[in-house]
Amino acid sequence: MKTETLKECINIEHLGFSYDTEEPVLRDVNLYAVKGESIGLIGANGIGKSTLLKLLVGLDLNYSGKLEIVTHPMVKENVNHIREHIGYVFQDSDSQLFMTTVEEDVAFGPLNYGLDKEEVEKRVKYALSKVHLLELRKKQIYKMSGGEKKLASIATILAMHPDIILMDEPSVALDPKNRRVLINILNEMPQMKLIASHDLDFIMDTCERTVLMDDGTIIFDGPTEKIMHDREMLERHGLELPLRFQR
Amino acid sequence: MSKIEKNLREVKKLNELQMRDGILNGLHPVVKLVTTILYILALVSFPKYQVVPCFVMCIYLILLFNLGDLSIWDGIRRMKLILPLVCVVGIFNPFFDHTEITRVGIVITGGMVSMITLMLKGIYAVLASYILIATTSIEDICYALRWFHMPKILVTVILLIDRYFYILGEEAGRIMAAYKLRAPKQNGIHYKAWGPLVGQWLLRSMDRAEVVYESMSLRGFRGEFTYAGRKSFRWVDIAYLVFWCAVFYLLRYTAVLEMLGQMFI
Ligand SMILES: Nc1ncnc2c1ncn2[C@@H]1O[C@H](COP(=O)(O)OP(=O)(O)O)[C@@H](O)[C@H]1O
Ligand SMILES: [Mg+2]
Repeated sequence: MKTETLKECINIEHLGFSYDTEEPVLRDVNLYAVKGESIGLIGANGIGKSTLLKLLVGLDLNYSGKLEIVTHPMVKENVNHIREHIGYVFQDSDSQLFMTTVEEDVAFGPLNYGLDKEEVEKRVKYALSKVHLLELRKKQIYKMSGGEKKLASIATILAMHPDIILMDEPSVALDPKNRRVLINILNEMPQMKLIASHDLDFIMDTCERTVLMDDGTIIFDGPTEKIMHDREMLERHGLELPLRFQR
Repeated sequence: MSKIEKNLREVKKLNELQMRDGILNGLHPVVKLVTTILYILALVSFPKYQVVPCFVMCIYLILLFNLGDLSIWDGIRRMKLILPLVCVVGIFNPFFDHTEITRVGIVITGGMVSMITLMLKGIYAVLASYILIATTSIEDICYALRWFHMPKILVTVILLIDRYFYILGEEAGRIMAAYKLRAPKQNGIHYKAWGPLVGQWLLRSMDRAEVVYESMSLRGFRGEFTYAGRKSFRWVDIAYLVFWCAVFYLLRYTAVLEMLGQMFI
């Protein structure tokens, strides 16, 4: 399966995409990311962040331009293979988690890959301990808090040993404590991460590199430190300075 | 609490029952399924006038309700939609079948007896199914069905329906709550609001169902569930099955009751 130890994770050139309407949601997006990077994807609501993430996991293949994940072009024949490398944490944990208990949900992916019992168990343990949910493994999902569900959905992805993790608005609906927990967990994870959010403080705490999107394309791509101080640029694109810089 | 929420809570309660660490919960799903089916087959095969041995088949239920630490009242309550139906099946028998069976003050006709037999059969079968459901998760039942080589497409459909059913329920609950908060004085939903509400409900449910499906396919789902509990049979499982087969056989095909009765007379 995963024999290649590649540096290149995401390679997008001139990516364009539109839903049924003519108005494109994405146009001429370029992004190159390598192993170990943590990238924040920021931009106002409805600007196409979620759409970009969905394209990256092959949930829609009607794009134009070039889209490669770990050097494999995103085409129908490659989708299954690519998905072994890339995990997607949905914004809505309630829909991402669909089994009865946490451990069943975490085991779902590994079981589908035909791993044997011991290996599945190992992965469940590994993933749950990474997000500090090992004691809750038997807990029913509907009894869990929003924060726990978010962590559980991250565990379902970690259990599949991805090289790349995509996250859509991970900090939404988390209280300060859970938010802090999540930040620490993300910072401990070695995988390449692409985190879509309009929570700039969260991005500051988790990503060294930030990509700003507006109008379906990338406006800025560079160090997080730099853009987060640029009030003029942020405001021009429908965002505000991170709370910690506001007075 | 709205009716929908109540029903959802019931589903969750059932889930909780299935998850417990009981003896019945731990039995092999195939064994449980087979025993339940055999029980129901034995039950329905009783001749229509054999009300006493048919009645005695309740030992299975009594033992299992105890063994599984289940409440029989909860069982009846949860099955309350189906139970009346199985009860009315034989309701007309007394009018058609006037064969005299015995006289205890009044004439007992064959119709009366067969009505009771039919009702017993119905109620017992429903309760036996309840025991199965309350101790076996849907995944386990589907695993057992696959074990019997039921086509995987069918089994997967059953599982997906189970998942989507839940989503439908949850969305319905949310919409109802939102509606009620803004129409507090109203009893039920105004007929004019039905159209948009149902439309919203289906759209939202479809959206969520799609996300669930996406989440599944992103985690390697290719149309067939891989079942975690690939269990092997243990001696308890075999013993359980053999025991009940013997009991059903004795009750159904031998005069074991009469023999027992004679021993005490
Ligand atoms: N399934 C869909 N069909 C049609 N349009 C969509 C769909 N999903 C999103 N859009 C539109 O695409 C644009 C980008 O949406 P999205 O990627 O969700 O933005 P973001 O995640 O940045 O808030 C929005 O204008 C939205 O209305
Ligand atoms: Mg979004």
